[in-house]
Amino acid sequence: MKFPTKIPNRKTKCKSAKTSNSSNLNESLDILRLDPSLSLPDARIPPYQRAAADSVMALLRDFGRGYQALCSYSCREAINILTSLPPQHYNTGWVLTHIGKAYFELAEYTQAERLFSEVRRIESYRVEGMEIYSTTLWHLQKDVALSALSKDLTDMDKNCPEAWCVAGNCFSLQREHDIAIKFFQRAIQVDPGFAYAYTLLGHEFVLTEELDRALACFRNAIRVNSRHYNAWYGLGMIYYKQEKFNLAEIHFKKALSINPQSSVLLCHIGVVQHALKKSDAALETLNRAIGIDPKNPLCKFHRASILFANDKYKAALQELEELKQIVPKESLVYFLIGKVTPKHLLPVCTGSQDQLHGKLSSSSSAISLANSRSCCSRSRRS
Amino acid sequence: MATASKTPPGADPKQLERTGTVREIGSQAVWSLSSCKPGFGVDQLRDDNLETYWQSDGSQPHLVNIQFRRRTTVKMLCIYADYKSDESYTPSKISVRVGNNFHNLQEIRQLEMVEPSGWIHISLLNQRTNEPISTFMIQIAVLANHQNGRDTHMRQIKVYTPVEESSIGKFPRCTTVDFMMYRTIR
Repeated sequence: MKFPTKIPNRKTKCKSAKTSNSSNLNESLDILRLDPSLSLPDARIPPYQRAAADSVMALLRDFGRGYQALCSYSCREAINILTSLPPQHYNTGWVLTHIGKAYFELAEYTQAERLFSEVRRIESYRVEGMEIYSTTLWHLQKDVALSALSKDLTDMDKNCPEAWCVAGNCFSLQREHDIAIKFFQRAIQVDPGFAYAYTLLGHEFVLTEELDRALACFRNAIRVNSRHYNAWYGLGMIYYKQEKFNLAEIHFKKALSINPQSSVLLCHIGVVQHALKKSDAALETLNRAIGIDPKNPLCKFHRASILFANDKYKAALQELEELKQIVPKESLVYFLIGKVTPKHLLPVCTGSQDQLHGKLSSSSSAISLANSRSCCSRSRRS
Repeated sequence: MATASKTPPGADPKQLERTGTVREIGSQAVWSLSSCKPGFGVDQLRDDNLETYWQSDGSQPHLVNIQFRRRTTVKMLCIYADYKSDESYTPSKISVRVGNNFHNLQEIRQLEMVEPSGWIHISLLNQRTNEPISTFMIQIAVLANHQNGRDTHMRQIKVYTPVEESSIGKFPRCTTVDFMMYRTIR
């Protein structure tokens, strides 16, 4: 059950308690809720009740603070508050889902997945937040788990938008975009106020290159929920594809103003700034992104590529060497090393051919790695 | 009875779709045929079912016209033909033409097939630049059938466009999940 809906429940209980004129915990709770200054005479409230009420209020305050932090995308803070809850409250679907969502917003998908799968274990009937779980699995490309989740949820409740979003994500991962579009449309049909379904539909339309319809979807999502930053990001992405970099930057920045801690968004802004020939601003933005999330390999990669474009070969190479430690299996990194190395070495060592050959062979072995993953034919062209 | 000259079947295009490098765009096009037997038309040609087929009902050449709403990049055509079940209805000589409309079509491929049984992949890459062609219209013409058959059967036709990278920046596709999951927000 969602947190805010708990309060009316309690209220009705309190009323019945009042009418029966028995003084119990519920009644004192009701009084506390109505009058937070606690100015009532102490004689009416026995100390043990007061202590109990205080602890409940403290608990609710923590819930509220955690939820507020998450809604303002202070994800680390939200995680800290919610994980410090006592175990009997921590191990509930609501809390774990929200911690999962916080990790999701931080792009720590493996952590998010761990929490969501725990939610599935303890509250398999829960649908709220499962759309986020499905997107987590989409990012991690875990198609088996995603398809199991989709089956479970659509079997359980065909009238909730979350189930259809999960099904759509499942088909999107299989690259069956037409079917995914149908499912996201169904999600909107069962609940036209579900902003995330519009966004997901928009992303599908981008993938099938129907950009006009995608624009409409993202705008609908913003109409439903103007703090839904994913839709602002989607709009920025479309303008980037259309090479309207100014508009793209505006929309990405709007998204960033909602979620200022997102390293992925900052990375995108950096790339757009580079496309607008504002390389210094781009590097600054990327530095900020790396400051927020030092583990984000794409930020480092783009920083290296911008350094490379600005003829700072040595710095670019150093960046790529660090990146190699983080993602040793990514062929793209070796590809860029291969592009940077000859430019870096050629002006310096006209004589020492051996060194050049050594470097080149390492990068060509990288390219053969890339080749084995059937990406080289494309990369050589670009 | 495998003879050396038989046209070998290509891979199932579904597998190509799964790699994420191509995407089927036939559904965005308007399809028309030069002729068809009632109940054996475009629907059967595009229903993803290898049991049903288009059967022409007129004079050769038999034409399949695929018209797009906008200039579309096309990388490959896949045609399913089955000599075992269609025998003299199986096409043996196919021509692929592209252009802006019916009046300026130009042939870019002509291929002959010998007893094909399976998917036939026809690459539409420009042979000089190795780039996918971009066009408003594709016409597939069946010029001849096996054993001088008059009408033709085609079971499926798929049209593929290369997939553009959904992430930002001018880089080729990344290959590991560690890297890919930071590519987009969803």
